[in-house]
Amino acid sequence: MVTLVIGGAASGKSEFAESLVLAAGDLPRYYIATMQPFDDECRMRIQRHREMRAKKRFETIECFTRLEQVLLPKRGVVLLECMSNLVANELYSPDGAGDCAIESIQRGLEALRSQCQELVIVSNEVFSGGSSYEGDTLRYLQILARVNRMLAQQADIVYEVVCGVPVCHKGKGRTT
Amino acid sequence: MVFITGPLYSGKKSVAKSWMHWEDHELEQRAVWDVQQMAAGCKDLEQLAEELSQKEVVIATEVGGGVVPASAEERMAREAAGRLACLLAQKADTVIRVFCGIPTVLKGEETL
Repeated sequence: MVTLVIGGAASGKSEFAESLVLAAGDLPRYYIATMQPFDDECRMRIQRHREMRAKKRFETIECFTRLEQVLLPKRGVVLLECMSNLVANELYSPDGAGDCAIESIQRGLEALRSQCQELVIVSNEVFSGGSSYEGDTLRYLQILARVNRMLAQQADIVYEVVCGVPVCHKGKGRTT
Repeated sequence: MVFITGPLYSGKKSVAKSWMHWEDHELEQRAVWDVQQMAAGCKDLEQLAEELSQKEVVIATEVGGGVVPASAEERMAREAAGRLACLLAQKADTVIRVFCGIPTVLKGEETL
């Protein structure tokens, strides 16, 4: 089963996504972290989050590019956070897939799905603040939007998290 | 008139086509999109909304969800876009919000 969790900055999407993983029961839990540590502040933040998740028995696996190369030790539940970082890394990192970012991410998702029981993917909603962008920002938004739509199409359940409240757009739990 | 809104690149035109059972050329003739850009500098939003609502489908991108823009011009454009969207939603028989390609009917009857 694949669940997509999308929300704006500080919307409570991570906490909600973690709760979904915990609700999946007593299975091995893997956290695929996509944020690259660029400085000490990043590293401290990452360390703190890693310790918090360790208490919930998550094993952290870092993946900044090439999702398809991730190998999971056991079949369990995977939380991938966050797709917006992974897309940026694939587009702009020296070892990213560049113009083939979408295809690379698609291959990575297929590889992950085949290795786990439950997959929860967190992505970012950054598309309601305007409609005229240029250059790299425009390119990034277009690619992330395509990835988000692709994820929503393939996911069994899609949630938008608003102020910590999950709104179900697809799957069990959709009210209209 | 069906009013379709949603974030940028959320798949609004695709939803319009499947909702109306249209091909690309029908969308071009019978719908209008990016109407949020027409609001900026418009003297009479009510009149604009009335004109737009002659089309079968009117599509606007949500642009009011970010930080307040630094420039006065952008603030006014954003304000006008939001007000136009409200007027269009009032006139519409059906209002659909698209999120990641998934439509949700906010007003009117679900027919898909």
